[in-house]
Amino acid sequence: MTESRLSAGLLIRIAVLAVVAVFFQTGVVSEVPVFGVNVDLSPLVVAFVGLLCGSTVGAVTGFAIGLLVDLTLVQTLGVTSLIFTLIGYWSGRLKELRDPQAAVTPLLVGAAAAAASLVGYSLMEFLLGVDAPVSLELLRQIVIGIVLDTVVALPTWVIVRRSLEGGLPDDPRRRRRRRRAYSTGGLSPLSRHT
Amino acid sequence: MHDKTVRRRRVVLVLLVVLSLLLLTAYFGEAPGGQLHDVQRGFLTITAPIQDGANKALKPVRNLFGWFDDTIHAKTQRNELLKQVDRLRGELVADQAEKRSYHELLGMYHLDNQLSVSDYRPVTATVVGKSPNLWYETVVIDQGESAGVRVNDPVINGEGLVGKVAQAASDGAEVSLITDSTMGVSSRIASTNATGIAQPKVGDPNDLLLQYLPANTQANPGEYVVTSGTVSSPDDSLYPPGILIGQITSENEESAYESVNVRPAVNLHNLDVVQVLTAAQGTLPANLSSLTASLPVGQGSPAGSAQGEQLASTGVR
Repeated sequence: MTESRLSAGLLIRIAVLAVVAVFFQTGVVSEVPVFGVNVDLSPLVVAFVGLLCGSTVGAVTGFAIGLLVDLTLVQTLGVTSLIFTLIGYWSGRLKELRDPQAAVTPLLVGAAAAAASLVGYSLMEFLLGVDAPVSLELLRQIVIGIVLDTVVALPTWVIVRRSLEGGLPDDPRRRRRRRRAYSTGGLSPLSRHT
Repeated sequence: MHDKTVRRRRVVLVLLVVLSLLLLTAYFGEAPGGQLHDVQRGFLTITAPIQDGANKALKPVRNLFGWFDDTIHAKTQRNELLKQVDRLRGELVADQAEKRSYHELLGMYHLDNQLSVSDYRPVTATVVGKSPNLWYETVVIDQGESAGVRVNDPVINGEGLVGKVAQAASDGAEVSLITDSTMGVSSRIASTNATGIAQPKVGDPNDLLLQYLPANTQANPGEYVVTSGTVSSPDDSLYPPGILIGQITSENEESAYESVNVRPAVNLHNLDVVQVLTAAQGTLPANLSSLTASLPVGQGSPAGSAQGEQLASTGVR
């Protein structure tokens, strides 16, 4: 998908998805701890938007969702925006450069986004002078957080993809089917023209 | 064409990163009353009712998830609670007699004007937002300045001390939990009256550390830690004395000062309804708070909290 072909419909879908994701996260998901740690859907949503729409849209979505999170939860402005911008950009670049089609891609991207988010936050907080040296408990919580986010990555991917599907000019599933059909000889360029 | 796309992509990334860093620097550098904080409070005022509505609408979903968690832990908790009830019943009988004598003595020596929860005007609030991040031990509630909520007001629930109000907007407020890195609550061990400061345990955001206890303090696991009713610094919140903070789990060997590990009494991961202890102008808590806030800097250090302690415990008007 080229960036210039971004439709207004897609932008509205992304905006609605971002607002719903942030409110659902802060109002529901954050209230349900698992092993003392909360699932964080926001970096997953950012990464998957990047994976579907490209690096520029991913980065802008990351910045917007990060700002919304910081404003809604009265946190230090800019921290989440910075981390999510990089996550969105990185996942977008992954799509542009490699265009991975494997079924485990959302899981791996989700795990990487969660790791980047948790480690990024820790680094930022250390830089901002929070008195918290690396401890086993902190590492345990980071690891559990990554595992939990990886577990919910697949359903989140399905929801994000379905939400944006109608607005995407080039549907990844359609492309995958086309590629598979082409490799099995069912829809070769020649047969399509005949 | 390709070069133009690449250039545009890079420009957008650099712009967003620079904007984030600018926001971060400006926010971190400005005072709590600064412009960005004002914007944040304004945003909170707008979104608090929306969050409240979403919170109510999504409560069944949250309850469903909570039900699984409760069911898994129900049996263990039940056995622990049965043991606790047996122990507490015995203690209650012994304490009732002592309490009667204590109140008689307080009345006799005109010391019965101590600050208590009933002196405050509790405002019930619903938690409408919580950060999923390990580093932010804060929640957002749906009551703000319009309900009388002010910065530094103590926040409690049925289980004990939750935290204090960090920022207040018109219809919402941010509450720093007792496990937030900015918190420090003047506390005492209920059985021995040894006082210290309860602070989050470094590197373990779920636990507290009761520090600066007098040397050779006897503290056993299971003993209760409550608020002392004093302030540890001029900008601190004046919590009423005797609010449960947590239970001692073990002695802390790592700290240079005499200290013990404390497990918070309140389940801070699952807050639903809390009470903000607000103080109307001219009431005892309001007068005490303004008096303690006017203490010179340095007088509120752990060693120098005697004046605050005096003010709170004698109820100076």
